[in-house]
Amino acid sequence: METVDSSGEIAPCVRIVDDDAAVRISLARVLRAAGFCVCTYPTAQAFLEADSQTVPGCVILDLALPGQSGLDLQEALAKGDWPLPVIFLSGRGDVPSSVQAMKAGAVDFLVKPPDAGALVAVVQTALERDRAARAEREEIASVTRRLAGLTPRERAVLERLVLGEPNKQIAAVLGVSEKTVKVHRANVLLKMAARSIASLVRMTERAGRRPAETKPSA
Amino acid sequence: MTPGGLLSLPAGLRLERFRLSFAAGLVLLAVAYFLGAKLGFVLTPQRLPISMLWPPNALLLAALLLTEPRRWWMLVAAVLPAHFAAELHSGVPLAMVFGWFVSNCSEALLGAVAIRLLRPRPPRFDSFADACVILLCGALFAPILSSFLDAALVKAIGWNDTTFWQLVRIRATANTLAALIVVPLVMTLVQNAREALATAPRRLLVEAALLFAGLATVAFILFSNLEPDARSSPALFYAPLPFMLWAAARLGPLGMSFANLLLTAVAIWGAMNGLGPFAGGSPEDNARAVQLFLIAASVPLLLLAVLLEERRRAERDAREQRQQLAHLARVATLGGLSGALAHELNQPLTAILSNAQAAQYMLGSDTIDMRELEEILKDIVAADRRASEVIRRLRALFMNEVIQAQDLDANELVREVLGLARGDLAARDIEVVTNLMQPLPAMRADRVQFQQVLLNLVLNASEAMAAAPAGARRLTVSTRAAGEGGVQISFYDQGPGFKPNDAERLFEPFYTTKPKGLGLGLPISRSIIAAHGGKLWGESRAGAGAAFHVLLPPSGPLAWLPH
Repeated sequence: METVDSSGEIAPCVRIVDDDAAVRISLARVLRAAGFCVCTYPTAQAFLEADSQTVPGCVILDLALPGQSGLDLQEALAKGDWPLPVIFLSGRGDVPSSVQAMKAGAVDFLVKPPDAGALVAVVQTALERDRAARAEREEIASVTRRLAGLTPRERAVLERLVLGEPNKQIAAVLGVSEKTVKVHRANVLLKMAARSIASLVRMTERAGRRPAETKPSA
Repeated sequence: MTPGGLLSLPAGLRLERFRLSFAAGLVLLAVAYFLGAKLGFVLTPQRLPISMLWPPNALLLAALLLTEPRRWWMLVAAVLPAHFAAELHSGVPLAMVFGWFVSNCSEALLGAVAIRLLRPRPPRFDSFADACVILLCGALFAPILSSFLDAALVKAIGWNDTTFWQLVRIRATANTLAALIVVPLVMTLVQNAREALATAPRRLLVEAALLFAGLATVAFILFSNLEPDARSSPALFYAPLPFMLWAAARLGPLGMSFANLLLTAVAIWGAMNGLGPFAGGSPEDNARAVQLFLIAASVPLLLLAVLLEERRRAERDAREQRQQLAHLARVATLGGLSGALAHELNQPLTAILSNAQAAQYMLGSDTIDMRELEEILKDIVAADRRASEVIRRLRALFMNEVIQAQDLDANELVREVLGLARGDLAARDIEVVTNLMQPLPAMRADRVQFQQVLLNLVLNASEAMAAAPAGARRLTVSTRAAGEGGVQISFYDQGPGFKPNDAERLFEPFYTTKPKGLGLGLPISRSIIAAHGGKLWGESRAGAGAAFHVLLPPSGPLAWLPH
């Protein structure tokens, strides 16, 4: 399933989950013809067992799947480490289900039969969203890793720095000389790969705001 | 169903093209009154001042009954010139002509007022209650009462030497007969003939023609008999009876009125010419014998015809109502199924669209994989067939199609129905287990009707399990041979079941345990199965859900089939 494209990144894969073989095959065909990498699953269970969600991409989900429904799978995906964007397909324009799906963060809710142009556009949006989410998760993970590399003293200095306290005050609070604070500050900026205090603030804010998503990747 | 009277009218004269304006109706009434009076004079035996059959009064009465009371004065005004035109040159003194106008109109008005007072709505001769009132008031009460006036006028003017009581008796009898013959005929011609001719099947028209020909023949033989045998003639009077009963049973009040007219015409013709069983005595006695015979024959036959017509109509209404109910239930099922059916159709449509658009993308690229293209076209064809199959089943299920009994395989039918409900069952997370006995005897049934019943039972079971925990929603469908050549199809669900005393109530119309149910599915299903000679019953299995069984005997007789 993993395809490495020319730039060396893993190419995104569009997953299709639909119990109807004719639908599955035809959707896969049209998306492949539009240039996407596609893999298909007949049920939610098969998807959960076989799919590697570290591979970027998105999921096209039939709403009325036998067994675990499309909405159930969406919920399970959202709880995982690598929430893939979900596009719903439904044979009936079922309003309550579509509302629930959109509230739970679906990219779109398409009614069967979906037009290829619309489908491709939605898939592109979903892949874009996945790419952005992965990049952000990657950055947060990296910041967290860098934070972990700081000494306790450096960390204390960082915490004061991002609050905008001047060196002198930090030195006073921590009970060290201003010169020592300057050395720590230089080390923090270096270790965090931050060009300025302002970028340091941005980094820590982002990492602190999303603690749940900053687990290291598998 | 409704009888047709004058059945061999050429197309250009078909009654349904006739729609008279009120003014034309007045003219027609005047002309009819004039001709009726002329006919009355022709039918007046020598020496008597009163005709054997005097139609004008009855014509006026019929016209009054067909008109709103506020316009009655126009009718009376319209017959005035016709009355004078018919009577002035017949040797009757002017005072008598005027006196007869008064007594004629008073008879018609008396009858009409009494009838309108007793019946809340404009009377119709095809209703039994109306017909009774019309005959009682119009053919009995009004002629007798007005005959006193008529006889008094004749005596006052001194035109004739017949006694007062004789005059009363003669006139009342003649006018009663005229009312019995004319009023039903005119009323049913106006009220029923259009519809009767439009809806009567060709078979009935042929039957009516045969009947009238037979009646005319028998009546002619009876009433043209030159030497009536005093002892056998009473028995001969019954000769037309079979035809008259036939008309009453099959042709309704319209056809019965024509039969009465025919018999009356032949009887009076015979009596006028001194032929037949009524020709023995004096002209007055002969006339009275004919009149009494005809009155005695026509009253019960007319009422019988109306009664049977009313029953036929009630049966037809009930049948239509049943059909509407069946259709309603089907539409309700359709409503419940529409989501599932949309799903059924949208699957192949998705496959067709995506395959076609994939091919379009491929054609736009540089390299074309012909094998892939071939696969795509094959899949499009298959998906298209699948969609048309869904539509075919849909049509078969919901259109009012003609019923056809054929030998069916119950297993195949079960599989078809489960296929039809597949989307619905999947959406409700219901596991289907089939336990189909092979081989099964063929069952003789209407495919569409049976599908409807089975689908109804599947959907009921599926709804019954809506509240059951996921994983405990299993529908078991089993078939087995029952008895010699019979088939039983059973549906077991894992829903809550039902209370023991609901086992029969479930089959009552409009009894429902579902919040949005109509309570029609099971009663209609049962009536369909009963029409196939089979049985449909439910059973609640303690703590294990409900079971419904359809049992069809070996090629059960096809009785009434609702559709």
